[in-house]
Amino acid sequence: MRALLAATLLACASLGALAPPAAAQTGEDIFPFETHRFELDNGLRVYLIHAGSPGMLAYASIVRTGARDEVEQGVTGFAHFFEHMMFRGTAKYPNFDGITESFGGNRNANTSQDRTFYYIVAGSEYLEKIVDLESDRFQNLAYSEPDFRTEAGAILGEYQQGAYSSFSMLDRTVRETIFNTHTYRHQVIGFEADVRAMPEQYQYSLDFFKRFYRPENVVVVVVGDFDFAQAEALIRQYYAGWAPGYQAPAVPAEPEQTAPRTASVEYRGRTLPMLTLNWMAPGWNATDRVGVALEILGDIAFGPNSDVYRKLVIDEQRLQALQAGFGLSRDPDFIQVMAMVSDPADVPAIEAELLAEVERFKEELVDEKTLADTKSAMRYGFLMRLETHLNVANAVARAIINTGELEPTNDYYRTLASLTVEDVREAARQILTEGRRTIVTLTQAGG
Amino acid sequence: MTEHRRKGGARVALLSAFAIGGLLSGCVDAGQEGTIAMAEEGSPFVAFNIWVKVGSQNDPQGKEGLATLTANLLGDGSTQQDSYQQILEKLYPMATGYGAQVDKEMTVFRGTVHVDNLEAFYGLFKNALLSPAFSEADFERVKSQTLNYLERGRRYNRDEDLGKQLLYWMAYEGTPYQHPEEGYVQSVQSITLDDVRAFYEKFYVRNNIVVGVGGGLPAGFAERVRADIDTRPEGVVEEVPPPAVVKPDRVRVLIVEKETDASAISLGFPTELVRGGPDFYAMKLANAWFGDHRNSFSNLYQVIRERRGMNYGDYSYIEPYPNGSATQDRPVNFSRRSNLFEIWIRPISLTQPGNLHQRTLFATRAAWRELDRLVANGLPQDQLERTRRYLHDFSLNYGSTVSRRLSYAVDDAFYGLGPGAGYLASIRPALAALDKATVDAAIKKHFGYSGMYVVFITSDAEALKQLLLSGEATPITYAGEQPAEIQQEDLEIAAYPIEVAAEDIRIMDISQVFESR
Repeated sequence: MRALLAATLLACASLGALAPPAAAQTGEDIFPFETHRFELDNGLRVYLIHAGSPGMLAYASIVRTGARDEVEQGVTGFAHFFEHMMFRGTAKYPNFDGITESFGGNRNANTSQDRTFYYIVAGSEYLEKIVDLESDRFQNLAYSEPDFRTEAGAILGEYQQGAYSSFSMLDRTVRETIFNTHTYRHQVIGFEADVRAMPEQYQYSLDFFKRFYRPENVVVVVVGDFDFAQAEALIRQYYAGWAPGYQAPAVPAEPEQTAPRTASVEYRGRTLPMLTLNWMAPGWNATDRVGVALEILGDIAFGPNSDVYRKLVIDEQRLQALQAGFGLSRDPDFIQVMAMVSDPADVPAIEAELLAEVERFKEELVDEKTLADTKSAMRYGFLMRLETHLNVANAVARAIINTGELEPTNDYYRTLASLTVEDVREAARQILTEGRRTIVTLTQAGG
Repeated sequence: MTEHRRKGGARVALLSAFAIGGLLSGCVDAGQEGTIAMAEEGSPFVAFNIWVKVGSQNDPQGKEGLATLTANLLGDGSTQQDSYQQILEKLYPMATGYGAQVDKEMTVFRGTVHVDNLEAFYGLFKNALLSPAFSEADFERVKSQTLNYLERGRRYNRDEDLGKQLLYWMAYEGTPYQHPEEGYVQSVQSITLDDVRAFYEKFYVRNNIVVGVGGGLPAGFAERVRADIDTRPEGVVEEVPPPAVVKPDRVRVLIVEKETDASAISLGFPTELVRGGPDFYAMKLANAWFGDHRNSFSNLYQVIRERRGMNYGDYSYIEPYPNGSATQDRPVNFSRRSNLFEIWIRPISLTQPGNLHQRTLFATRAAWRELDRLVANGLPQDQLERTRRYLHDFSLNYGSTVSRRLSYAVDDAFYGLGPGAGYLASIRPALAALDKATVDAAIKKHFGYSGMYVVFITSDAEALKQLLLSGEATPITYAGEQPAEIQQEDLEIAAYPIEVAAEDIRIMDISQVFESR
């Protein structure tokens, strides 16, 4: 059941992660925890949050830099690579891993298009040690060129883990068909040629650190059981010397798409055909009614509870899977409907049916119960994710990545609570247009 | 600039009310026979874990995959009360669901719900377990999705996960543990809806089901769930004997041929280690030092990735860790009466045309050599202390949610570990009691070996076979300069002997993997 279970989890996650949560109907803040915000003179923003189990905390450092910021030629994948280098130590603490090990810290990091997220989960008694350690590496990271070259090999290994999957190949094709200038053209892991050339980029890595790892571009979120005053004092003390100097990258805007595009790609392993319908969508904005309505439209129109899912997946079984990914990014990005088709000969008919369904949502209003159920799903989806320290930090990360602040988390759910069925139709009309559309199909080579 | 907002009172805002010790034990009330109630007062969540004592070991010959298909049909199908679509509709506003996980010996149905929605959720969950519709349409859908995974996804999407499954297949040959839980392509093709019905009637009987519930439980709730489960008839379930632990007497290799630029590598052998059994905690410590999952300070990781940059990571296991590429949360509800010691070397890529096999064997030799060194030398006292301290603190992460704490309690029940003697509760005191002599003796006993099972998934399998048989050294080169001590060590690793006979190397094409028994 492993793969199937994973698929189920994805489907569940789409309730919350792709089409994020719903506001309390009352207009109250959805984020329920006691929160303290402060900002240092150098621009570092900090949120302290009381939540989770007694005696523990999660310490998250959110850098508002990801693959999106890789604007120069030949350095795709660098934000992720740099994430790895952040574990290579400093003059004061050359062995970062050894120290986190010594207090049983559960620590790691991950990189996406729009941000790099570092965390340590540990006992609250280690708060000062963690503040010391994190503030030190964000200011004083130091690694040698041989270490840098060695780490590049690990990235190549990471690239190879998923490079041969049909999903990864399809995603690469979609990106390269939709984007010509914007950096969302490449996957977070980077183009293979760039990954292979990484060992030669030592100097660039030093520049990358100086440009992006600056206090104005970082938000620290501490979640758990600890004293706010003590934590604030420690953070003010340890991060005070961090010099500002963030240089925002000139991310090239993608020219507006005005005509539909199509592409197809052949996969050399075995796969069923995969059909994707994609549309260019606006950047994330907590108070944009069209954007928020669009995010829930994905679930309403193509999620497991939708009419077309019932018809094509459950009743007729012409699709093995149908998923909608309508989550928005910091910059305009594509949203996607993906269908895995049982019979290769059926692909054109499936495409026609999915497109007809899109047209229907532009004409008809969804029923009030569906909208209410969706708002409920978003709200409970959000609340149910707040069980662990780290998940609380993750729950507010989206607003922080896109805006630098936590408060839009609450704004988002207020917008959601106020949406009407007309808003949902309007989102379909404005965004699911032919001019914004790109259809990409992956099929098995040789039939 | 600061702002300070204080809020309170929201029902959703409750912190888990139990003390830190709760993270390491839960608050289990063994109470009624066949019921595990883990009440956490004030928790806004209720977690379910219904354990059916059946697994892939119970699959009839030729019907491998039946336990999984049965459980998936229950978890993902209609009931006598609601169509599958109606179930999805009703679950949707609660933002939750339920699902099955099937392992060799156990099947669990899990779900977590916000207390606001407990009654509505439980009604659906109960029906799924007690009054499944067994509709032909649901069966065809679930079976077709399973076959798509077996024929395509399992073979072509992640070689490293496939390699791990193949290691179990080799190591448990001829036992009920041999086949993957999802079955073979041909065995699943042969499964009928009648097979599923019969399997359900035989194994989903009340005396074979343990009820686990946890979190913000209303009064009497656990008893109510138990009473509902007790509406199932009683039945006779014969116990499957545990697989005999047979360590291989020589090295046996499987090479899967596939078009790729990277090799997946898994190796290992059966052990006598089970949770709660002799030496378990000593070996948990030894293994954490050697290859703790996704922890960069462990020895294998340091040698292969950190110092040499050969791949993304290198780990070892004394208990199953399926889906390891996808999760850092320790797996729960994979309790077994037999386990493998398993080394997982993540994909090794070629760095120049033609050097894939050199690098593949170098990484394999490096891991092998480290294992031999550990068995020969034991664990130095300072390393033992270091790892003990790490596990003492890190184990707080294991039970991070109600659902996970409950799942650990279910696993405790599987192993017969009573209240206070459960896994989470035992880790700290058991670690504290260990000394070097005990750990070293356990390492010799459990990691000592006379043979090994090895799986490679790579391109040009025949060439790898010949290189392995030749016994030639397989040196590697680096993108950067390496210190003299690493260069010296590399000479030893590159020539480290792997003695294997030609007849013990089997080659298989990817298209044939898990096709049939």
